[in-house]
Amino acid sequence: MTPTLFGRWQTRTLLLLTFGPFLTLPFVLFFRLTPLLILGMVLCFGYCWDILYQVIQSGRWDRDWPPAYQLLAGIWEGAFVFLVSALLGRVFGVFAVPFPVFLIHYGLVWIVTFLMSQSLMRIVFPNWRYRGGQWLF
Amino acid sequence: MSVLTTSETLRLTWDDPGTGEELAWNGPLPVRIGRATDNEIVLNAAAVSRLHARLERDGAGVVLIDNGSSNGTFVGGRRIDREPLTDGATITLGPFTLTLDLDAAPPTVFAASGRSPAPTGTLTLRWTDPVGGAAREARIERELTIGRGGDCAITLATNRASRRHATIAPDGAGAVLTDLDSANGTFVNEHRVTRRALGAGDVVTIGDVRLTVEQVGLGAPVARPGADSATQIIEAGALPPPLVAPPPPPAPPNEHRTVILDLPDAGPSARPQRSFPPAIFEAPSVPVSALAATGLPVDETLFLAVGGGLGSFVWVDHLVTHGADPRAITAIGLEEKPYGRYKRLCAQSQIPLHERLRSNSDSCPDNIWGWPGYAVRESFTSLSRGQFGNAIKRTWQIFGEPTFAETYTPRAGDVFDSIDREAARIGWERIYRYGRVRAIRKTDDGRYVIAYSQSTPQNPSDHRLILARYVHVAVGYPGIKLLPDLQQYRETTGDFKTVVNAYEEHEHVYQGLIRGGGTVLVRGRGIVASRILQRLYEIRQQNPQIGVLHLMRTPLAKGHRYGRAERQVIDHWEYQPFNWPKATWTGEMRFQLERADDQERDRLLNDWGGTTTAYRADWVQIVDAGQREGWYQIRFGDVKAVGRDPSGKLVTTLVGKGLIKDETDLQADYIIDCTGLEAQVDAHPLLKDLVGHHGLGKNPKGRLRVTNDLEIVGMDNGPARMYAAGAMTLGGPMAAADSFLGLQYAALASVQALADLRAPGVRRLNFITSPIQWIKWATGARP
Ligand SMILES: Cc1cc2nc3c(=O)[nH]c(=O)nc-3n(C[C@H](O)[C@H](O)[C@H](O)COP(=O)(O)OP(=O)(O)OC[C@H]3O[C@@H](n4cnc5c(N)ncnc54)[C@H](O)[C@@H]3O)c2cc1C
Repeated sequence: MTPTLFGRWQTRTLLLLTFGPFLTLPFVLFFRLTPLLILGMVLCFGYCWDILYQVIQSGRWDRDWPPAYQLLAGIWEGAFVFLVSALLGRVFGVFAVPFPVFLIHYGLVWIVTFLMSQSLMRIVFPNWRYRGGQWLF
Repeated sequence: MSVLTTSETLRLTWDDPGTGEELAWNGPLPVRIGRATDNEIVLNAAAVSRLHARLERDGAGVVLIDNGSSNGTFVGGRRIDREPLTDGATITLGPFTLTLDLDAAPPTVFAASGRSPAPTGTLTLRWTDPVGGAAREARIERELTIGRGGDCAITLATNRASRRHATIAPDGAGAVLTDLDSANGTFVNEHRVTRRALGAGDVVTIGDVRLTVEQVGLGAPVARPGADSATQIIEAGALPPPLVAPPPPPAPPNEHRTVILDLPDAGPSARPQRSFPPAIFEAPSVPVSALAATGLPVDETLFLAVGGGLGSFVWVDHLVTHGADPRAITAIGLEEKPYGRYKRLCAQSQIPLHERLRSNSDSCPDNIWGWPGYAVRESFTSLSRGQFGNAIKRTWQIFGEPTFAETYTPRAGDVFDSIDREAARIGWERIYRYGRVRAIRKTDDGRYVIAYSQSTPQNPSDHRLILARYVHVAVGYPGIKLLPDLQQYRETTGDFKTVVNAYEEHEHVYQGLIRGGGTVLVRGRGIVASRILQRLYEIRQQNPQIGVLHLMRTPLAKGHRYGRAERQVIDHWEYQPFNWPKATWTGEMRFQLERADDQERDRLLNDWGGTTTAYRADWVQIVDAGQREGWYQIRFGDVKAVGRDPSGKLVTTLVGKGLIKDETDLQADYIIDCTGLEAQVDAHPLLKDLVGHHGLGKNPKGRLRVTNDLEIVGMDNGPARMYAAGAMTLGGPMAAADSFLGLQYAALASVQALADLRAPGVRRLNFITSPIQWIKWATGARP
């Protein structure tokens, strides 16, 4: 699938707002609101990164976005969010979670949303794959 | 330098970059070329400026002037501002390459020089243009001057070459090179020379350009049948130049170029009979009350799929998945299996069941969601059989393609099996019936009436009518198209055995080659050419005495460009994973095409399309090894004629391009035309009748005009609607019209339109019904 910018945003929003909180719940029990904030950052920064990905993608002949790029993007986004949350933790002393916890939480959310974007989205929305990921409009 | 007179017209030929179709223009000077429609030659592509370049008279010759275009005008691969042209010059503007045909005298310089002809002319120089990067070649048949100056026969745009640097002249069976006191010297095989005999294999270096000397033809020099036509240039030059170019040969009517793809019809009724379709079909709209009087059996259905091929199957699959009652659906076609014709075309064009198609993993004619795709399924099957290597490989392919891994494509046999399973699930055998559809008409009660024949040898005139409210037309390609010169050869000689189209049955060619060896001339450089080459490579393991000459019209140094992206070219083959950029299936480019009007679509398709093959390591390897080992060689040129010499060999006569308008003969035992299938509406009797009778327009690609829902424009009849899919809808909203995914897209769009029209039973799938239908698919339950 070759996503459009709206498609990226819409798919990101839907998956992170459904599977995201669900997968974050266990972490909230131990780390209170911080995991939810991390989830929010993944979503919000993601909207910006999507613009960048779209620009990179438009330089490719097929304008496609191989899943491997998605993985690289995921690693990059994770690193960025972790750094920001660590920084905020330094300053305000509240937001940070230990790195292994972050890794498990972020990794889990990423894997699940990635797999769902490759499968469930198509099954639930038959138009999704033709519309570059725009399930809503 | 060619002499023109006022009455003279010139001819330009090029291929439609979108479809590969041959196009031509004839007319007098001056000629304006550009994207705007008021030019004499309109080339519709983004990379072409409104007024891009002009051809004008310049003394006795023709000159090409770039009109300050943004992307430049190129002659023989070199960017120019103003350039005198000679016959055969190749002009490149954006994705178009035009060949100039003055059909006048060869350059007068030759006549003036009055040299005697080189008797054999078997050596060729090949080099890469230092500016454009284009591959160039010139036959050494007379003295050629090489240098930086524009008046040299071979112009090398490099500062390290002198204006007149060296000459090469034929000498017996070889050639002799003379340095003209050049500043930087002339080198042969790295040694500086002033005068030296040349033979095949020598490398001449001038500045930073390497020119290799090669023998023409495989093996021995080719002798021409009859008159020694190497003298052609000089003889013609000695005569006063012909003043008026002969009119272009009329394009042969499509019917003649077309070999119908289907198995021959059973009975004599294969040819349309006067009495059928019945006379009432002449009326603009057929009164239903008059049908009984025809005495023909009349049947009724709600949804009718015309064709019964893959497009029909995919549409029916979408319909039943969206709730239509299978008993209200009928499909009429000529093949028992939906993939009947497709499978035959695959087999004939060398895609056996175990071979891989050129298709994406999630282009699944058996699954409307495209998940799980063929790659995931193949991985699972491999896992369950303990073939872990294959499972990992396929998964990695869809994960990394096309950047880190070769693009995944499914095996032909797996696709057919999956269609069989889905056909059983939806009850295709009760939906499908045999029949050749002859005509479709609107009725006066808001439906369509379809005339079809079920003739068999026992019952040669079994004609029927059927009424339907929603009709879908997917009749595929009307026929096989041969290149005009090959078609002419076949018509005049009746020889259908040695000159074949890659899509027709031609196994005898390979069997003949295995038995006796020989040379095959391959024309075209798309994916079919790759497959033919692969087969030839395979049979060479049984008989190494098989050689392949690959004839291409023009060298190719750089791939198509669009925006910042450019396609890859290796050895004059252009690569891309699929026929169209992937974003035309699902992404931005699909939206772009959907929003565009007819003209804009034509332009975009020209920018994105063209003849390409898929990158497969084994194919690249075959081309590479073949060239190194000498059994595969590429030749460039325009074909003048194809005939037979006294020894019975096929002779393809090429006319040189550029300054040296010589003729070369290529000898071969077989010719395989890999250029294509007929795809014009007018070549299909049913569609020609449909468009003609109802006054439907055609789009700029000569195909059916369809809306974004794939509805045929002008065929709506009250509540009744008619849709189309497949190759006949190219130029519509989907670039990859003729692909599994394109068929799926067309089916989804039209079935959703039917849902919006409240067609009985049909409802859009939503986030609840869609997964439910998917689970039914996955478990093999009826929809
Ligand atoms: C060799 C080859 C390989 C291809 N490989 C791929 C690939 O790998 N991936 C991909 O996505 N696409 C591929 N395609 C393109 C495309 O998917 C196929 O061409 C596909 O078969 C198109 O489906 P269709 O329904 O338009 O035509 P078809 O499948 O050919 O069906 C049309 C049917 O209509 C019937 N018909 C014609 N006229 C009449 C009439 N008057 N009355 C009744 N029936 C009629 C014909 O008999 C035929 O069975 C390939 C095409 C070819 C030729």
